[in-house]
Amino acid sequence: MPSALLEVEGIEAGYGRTQVLRGLSLHLSQGERVGLFGPNGHGKTTLLRTISGLLRPWRGNIRLAGTGIAGADPRAIVDRGLIHVPQANTLFPEMTVLENLKLGAYAPRARADAAATLDRVLALFPRLSERRDQPCRTLSGGERQMVSIGVGLMARPAILMLDEPTLGLAPLIKDELLEAIRQVADTGVPLLVVEQDVEFLLSLTDRLYMLNHGEIELETSSDGGLDHARILEMYFGKG
Amino acid sequence: MDLDSAAAILVSGLVLGSLYAMMATGLSLIWSTLGIFNFAHGVFMTLGAYIAWQVADGAGLGWGLAAGIAVGVAVLVGLGCVAEQVLVRPFQDRGNLVLTAVITTLAALIFLENAILLGWGPRLKQLPPLVDGTVSIAGVAISAHEAVIIVLSPAILLALWLFLKMSRLGSAIRAVGQNRDAALLIGVPVSRMYMAAFGLSAGLAAMAGILLASIRFLTPTMGGEPLVKALIVAIFGGLGSLLGTVAAAYIIGLLEALSTYFIGLYWTPAILFAIMILVLMVRPSGLLGRK
Repeated sequence: MPSALLEVEGIEAGYGRTQVLRGLSLHLSQGERVGLFGPNGHGKTTLLRTISGLLRPWRGNIRLAGTGIAGADPRAIVDRGLIHVPQANTLFPEMTVLENLKLGAYAPRARADAAATLDRVLALFPRLSERRDQPCRTLSGGERQMVSIGVGLMARPAILMLDEPTLGLAPLIKDELLEAIRQVADTGVPLLVVEQDVEFLLSLTDRLYMLNHGEIELETSSDGGLDHARILEMYFGKG
Repeated sequence: MDLDSAAAILVSGLVLGSLYAMMATGLSLIWSTLGIFNFAHGVFMTLGAYIAWQVADGAGLGWGLAAGIAVGVAVLVGLGCVAEQVLVRPFQDRGNLVLTAVITTLAALIFLENAILLGWGPRLKQLPPLVDGTVSIAGVAISAHEAVIIVLSPAILLALWLFLKMSRLGSAIRAVGQNRDAALLIGVPVSRMYMAAFGLSAGLAAMAGILLASIRFLTPTMGGEPLVKALIVAIFGGLGSLLGTVAAAYIIGLLEALSTYFIGLYWTPAILFAIMILVLMVRPSGLLGRK
């Protein structure tokens, strides 16, 4: 097996004294699209927060291209291109779409090409182009999600982690987002996508992890291995 | 009421409004970035004026007013950064920062006020005016110093607005206040932004103090009343809204001038508080505030 781009090994983390992640391990290779699903409150978001440095792990290793990043400053992690697009996020609500996107290129690695990246992001989300001067708090949920992902793309990700990009969105908008995320992945950016919508993950990713009680309960490829119905069964605990 | 009285009320209101705008903007900047009230804001103003006096006045270093202003503002920008490190940073991740910051910034207020009293003594001091003499506008003579305050304060606030709106650093400072985690996730050094906000805020307070110190005398407690007024202004205008804060500052300044002229100095604070309470009953988040 070629060495993975991102390796998470035996991570334990939590808030205060409450442990959320219980020795979780996963990996992501160059160009891969990996999905992570599981019930609410079982550590999906906590995992992403730990990987991106918002939360310091209690134990375990996280390696990005072979270098340990567990417990590093979020800024150092962003500088290395590991970008986390947080959940159901309004980002900077009082700023316009354009201001939000420009801030996405705050990291030094993204600054030089910011103008070209901005053009690409606006081409990917034409709606944002129309709303560029609107404050983000006036946008619809789907548009906010587009801004969030756009901000992540502005940072020129080497790996993109998305936290429930379709949470609370209408089916039509979901499809639009799925298409956009696919286009991003097609440029070779590896994805780690956290979702409740298993169907969405199956159509987007190569490989799936199912998280349960802070541990990986199941790992499977998205096309073979387990069929859709069985995953849903396990997901809802009817198996 | 004759023209001269009307002009005097207007000028006095605009001068007060200008000073309150600078004070309240600093207070509001810290509120919108860190979510806390800085009770040491008034004593920052006092300290800036004293340092400027020390550098400018013949009884001190005697380097002149321009040097005094530069040093006073620069030292307070630095002190603001230090204050953030000492009063806020150690308590940031321990929960209930709002209450803790009330205590730490009140402590800083008491400490610095007494330090000023020890260092400079109770004797009254005054800074010279920025410009001597009077200027005549539409046949009404007003002091040149007051005219400068009326022009300078909006210019400084406009520069601040442009900085916050247009520059990368300014955008990052606003971003941190609106969503700390999202700012961290795009690589903004959040703690440095907090420091920058405190430094900017203290620098603005120092500038306001220096301008005030050539209208009134310097006393160790001279920052107390402007702090209360700045609080009224910031709440009245809508916390975190720069435009609302500036508008409220001028409204409060003019109301204060009118009330002082027609009703008397004694009742003015009560009237201002009554107006603030009324406004908050109708608009709980202030004139232009949100949420």
